[in-house]
Amino acid sequence: MKGSYEKEQGAIDYKSLSSLTIAAHELKSPLSLLRQLALSLEADDLSEHERRAIASHMKLVSERALRLTTNLTKAQRLEDGLFTLEPINPQQLCEEVVYELSPLYRACGRELIVTPRQRSLLAIANRDLLRRILLNFADNALYYADDASPVELSVSSRHHGETIRLGIRDYGPALSIDTWRSLRGRALRPEPLHARPGGSGLGLAIARQFAEAMNGSVGATRHRDGATFHVDIHASRQMSLL
Amino acid sequence: MNVVLVEDDILLSQHFERSLTRAGHMVVTSPHALGAIKLIDETKPGAIVLDMLLTGSTALPLLHELQSHDDLARIPVIMVTSLADDMSLATLKPYGVTHLLDKTTMHPDDLVAAVRSASL
Repeated sequence: MKGSYEKEQGAIDYKSLSSLTIAAHELKSPLSLLRQLALSLEADDLSEHERRAIASHMKLVSERALRLTTNLTKAQRLEDGLFTLEPINPQQLCEEVVYELSPLYRACGRELIVTPRQRSLLAIANRDLLRRILLNFADNALYYADDASPVELSVSSRHHGETIRLGIRDYGPALSIDTWRSLRGRALRPEPLHARPGGSGLGLAIARQFAEAMNGSVGATRHRDGATFHVDIHASRQMSLL
Repeated sequence: MNVVLVEDDILLSQHFERSLTRAGHMVVTSPHALGAIKLIDETKPGAIVLDMLLTGSTALPLLHELQSHDDLARIPVIMVTSLADDMSLATLKPYGVTHLLDKTTMHPDDLVAAVRSASL
């Protein structure tokens, strides 16, 4: 038995263990909130409306936590190559993301919109991975956006039509340059847990991994009144063949 | 009593606000330290409920700012964090923190009790 135990101990990947610690920390927030909401349901003097609102918040928080756990699983399996790249309409995907996240945004008193486009573009991507990147950025923007301006999803063509950029722009208070560098760094490389504040950067690091798996990249731009996080992916040439 | 609540998770902020309002407090909220300073200046609250990890920064610059003003330094601060395991109230006391609540184990009533106790 002892030998078996030692073998198991020896098999521990400490790099993964560090990622596990970060993931555990990231899950602490939604789990704590779920617990708080569940405890508040025990109050006797809640109105039916309040009960419904709390139950709805519990659902939204669970979905947020589940998105993170599914992203972690997906990120772990990227090396297996179990995903395909195909031509997709990024504008339509943005609209799906808005539809999916609108209940969360509404509950937080915020708005998520898609900037309209006259002409459709086609990108080469894995629909699920790209969707997850956008969900991730939009979820992140929720922390930074003020309640006066909506968070905007937009699609644009770059590099003479070679690249499609999907951006998420939030409007909020100007970030200090140090905070900005730290945030931007997290989008570009994973950082250890002690690099918090404001988040371990796990979500942004996963988004970067997903983008790279599609031969794309992620980046960020700081504005005077907020920030844009974006993902660049290859444009499909399918339309030019028509 | 006026309470300034600084919490960047909007749903959690709404939840804390609901608990404190039901207990009879007037609550104003900010998701970040910058907005909190303005609210604290305007409302001169009887207590501040503060999350440690805020969007883009920790609560420490805000605590430092409060300590640098005689009148603001006297406002009791209730720190509510999921990092309570890694902190001690003794370390935070010089920053004006009177209570340290662990988000992962606290009950909603604990926050109300802490605000009540801080105002005594």
